[in-house]
Amino acid sequence: MRWLGPQQATTPLVQHILLALLASGALLYLLHRFLGPRGRRALIVVVTFLFGLFFGLEYFLPVRTKTLWPTGLPNTGGSAGNLLTPGIEPMSNILAVIGAFTVGLGVYSLVQVHGRNVLRRRPGWHNSLAFFISFLAMFGFGLWQYSLHLPEPLPPTLTPLQAFANNGYEFLFRGLYAPLQAATFSLLAFYIASAAYRAFRIRTTDAGLMMAAAFVVMLGQVPIGAWLTRGLPNEGVIALLRLENLGDWVMRWLNSPAQRGIALGVAIGALAMSLRVWLSLERGTFFAEQK
Amino acid sequence: MADLSANSARPEIGASAPGFWSRLQQIPRYYIYLLLAMVVIWQILFPIFLPITPSATTRGLEEAIRTVPEGKLVLISADWDSSTQAETGPQTAAVIEACLRHHKPFVLMTLAPPMGAKLAHNIASEIAKRYHARYGVDWANWGYKYGTSNVLMAMVKDVPKMVGSDFYGQPVKSLPIMKGVRTVKDIGLVVEVTGLAGMTEMWIGLIQGPQGVPFSAAYTAVMAPGYYPYLDSGQIEGMLVGAKGAAEMEVLIARPGRGMAIMSAQSWAHVLIMLFIIVGNLGYLLARGRERRG
Amino acid sequence: MAGGELLPNEGGGVNSLEHANWFMRALFFTLSAVIVASVLSAQRGRAMFIRRIPGLSAIEEAVGRATEMGKPIFFSPGIDGIGITTLQALAILSYIVRLAAARVTRVLVALRDSTVLPIAEETVREAYDAAGRPEDYRPEDVRFVSDEQFAYALGSVGMMAREQTATHFLFGGFYAEALILTENGRALGALQVAGCPDPVQIPFFIATCDYVVIGDEYYAASAYLTREPTLTGSLVGQDLGKAVLVALIVTGIVMATVLGGATPIVAALLGKGG
Repeated sequence: MRWLGPQQATTPLVQHILLALLASGALLYLLHRFLGPRGRRALIVVVTFLFGLFFGLEYFLPVRTKTLWPTGLPNTGGSAGNLLTPGIEPMSNILAVIGAFTVGLGVYSLVQVHGRNVLRRRPGWHNSLAFFISFLAMFGFGLWQYSLHLPEPLPPTLTPLQAFANNGYEFLFRGLYAPLQAATFSLLAFYIASAAYRAFRIRTTDAGLMMAAAFVVMLGQVPIGAWLTRGLPNEGVIALLRLENLGDWVMRWLNSPAQRGIALGVAIGALAMSLRVWLSLERGTFFAEQK
Repeated sequence: MADLSANSARPEIGASAPGFWSRLQQIPRYYIYLLLAMVVIWQILFPIFLPITPSATTRGLEEAIRTVPEGKLVLISADWDSSTQAETGPQTAAVIEACLRHHKPFVLMTLAPPMGAKLAHNIASEIAKRYHARYGVDWANWGYKYGTSNVLMAMVKDVPKMVGSDFYGQPVKSLPIMKGVRTVKDIGLVVEVTGLAGMTEMWIGLIQGPQGVPFSAAYTAVMAPGYYPYLDSGQIEGMLVGAKGAAEMEVLIARPGRGMAIMSAQSWAHVLIMLFIIVGNLGYLLARGRERRG
Repeated sequence: MAGGELLPNEGGGVNSLEHANWFMRALFFTLSAVIVASVLSAQRGRAMFIRRIPGLSAIEEAVGRATEMGKPIFFSPGIDGIGITTLQALAILSYIVRLAAARVTRVLVALRDSTVLPIAEETVREAYDAAGRPEDYRPEDVRFVSDEQFAYALGSVGMMAREQTATHFLFGGFYAEALILTENGRALGALQVAGCPDPVQIPFFIATCDYVVIGDEYYAASAYLTREPTLTGSLVGQDLGKAVLVALIVTGIVMATVLGGATPIVAALLGKGG
């Protein structure tokens, strides 16, 4: 069965794209023109159900690889399949293409918001100007450097322009962006210090127990903890009282079961939510009218 | 669920009471940040090294590397970027050192984010020079591969086809290290070094479980607690937890590195945070006692 | 362990992450049947009890605080793309916007994924319509900030600081940026309500937020807030599903302990890992 397989070798890609754009434009116009709000919601419900049904059926239908494809499973990197499996990749591609349309939306939204700030000289407009400068610089140098297709490692005989493009890109990406990313992540250390100081109060017995466990794990995670209990033996029951062992015990026998319990509940919650979304039972603006 | 957190809308007990105990609960955060920065800088400049005892989880990973069968590769999936570099960088370095120490050929790969391929490559190049390890023979870098789960599924049947070209753009089939590597079962161990959630579940679901390829991991300290269940079930054979894990691995392979350097700073930072918590609680309890008496 | 396949492929069996084996089919249909039965029962009028979830009950109080202070509300649906976590966050957003619109309070929404942008815009616009205040909807209040995690966090903090938001709602998939958002929000004096199904970030939320919704309480939000029979039935079905899983776990433990893990029936039922 052909599932939107590879294009015919004789048909140019551009024609396909133009045809697809025309067809989807016409379809959208017709839908907008002839389908009212209720019709649109019904369409959403039907499409949601059909797409969900496809992926669900593909997962649950029995595998019949050798019966259906003696020469090998087409169109997929997986190892086994049923009737619907070759359609997974094209379907995933469709979803990726739909998602890709929204990439431009994000940029448009940013340009709109910051552009308005700059044009109307709103308070803080210089921050919006900085956005445009950094956006254009990164975009420009990134595209320029990519278009040069410079090999790795760099040859010693780069032209001045190539060197400028590459150095500009390296400065912006590895010189600015990467250290900024690391620095922002490092802020978390300071924030957790102030958050812990402010929030961890022994108001109740539960809080006291939590504090004790936190201290044990914190000390167990660093060499100071092992140093503090270095006098205790390494083997036997008493060894459990060494802070690094106690911390490990807390992680394996207290934390681990709790994580499993939460994960179980979340998984069931996710299943129920997925069922509600698939069957369009979910309430809220995007799913159905909220009474 | 009871509200366990401090509430900005509710005044701190004792906050209305003047004096020392109240102020003890309200140290401005700038002083906290300043003290923390000073402690870290002090330890970077004048480190106090304390002995590090490798934990069972780190020993598990070291043993997993040591027992990789002859003729098989170690695949190090460097799925991290500069944000987690402080932990995942030393972890990657420690794992690479362990591989070279035990004469196990290794390959690097990055599923996400793309930056990891270059960062891990820089680390591997530097360490490889020390061991006189040759690129393409003793180690290689498959580079960034787009597609996460699709990449793993493709690896099951045909690794060279999935990889295509390496980090330098040369066909991976031309590398001597890839001789005999056809499917994922020719990989002796996968070591996932990551700060991203969700990667491990894919590796276990698509490679470790169904294909039986041994799997180990190195995580940032904040995400490691969530993966202890996999360790207990045997799906993960060993684990490095944060910078401490890297330091422990450096102790095991007797090669001090950045992990150990970071641990001294981290130790005293932990102590400082605990001191702050104790001071805050002292202020709270004493102010509360004073209020009750008053 | 092969399941449903008469002819195992060269891998030796079916990967249950790619295709269901018999156990996954049985489990899925059992759990789904339980959930659907609960939903039908609720639709027929059976009263269903839901315990109080403070974090969700506090939403109205939190919106009221912003109204009293005359300042806007900040909402973040997390940094995940389109998925059930984000869809649930948007359902909560719809509820919050309706409450806020009725009290003439602005809601600022900061987004990290551009695929969520049109859906969030539509959600907010329709919520204003439903509250009878379509003229109060401002497109610039629903903003795409950045698709980079920490740029998003810092951009959102900038929004909070510039707009002086009084109440922050953080519902969705959060990761390392969570503490940046909440600690800065805390420093600004905002009332913060957070909810995240992933347990890793919960400790940071608890330390910095006033109310926190944990684990599967997050997926109970739409049922809890709307009290629709369909949704409350689904919620009760979830809990019954958990009971089914616990019963299976206990059965497995007893079988493996009494019969031993190597016994063929135990191996066939429990299978290998992965």
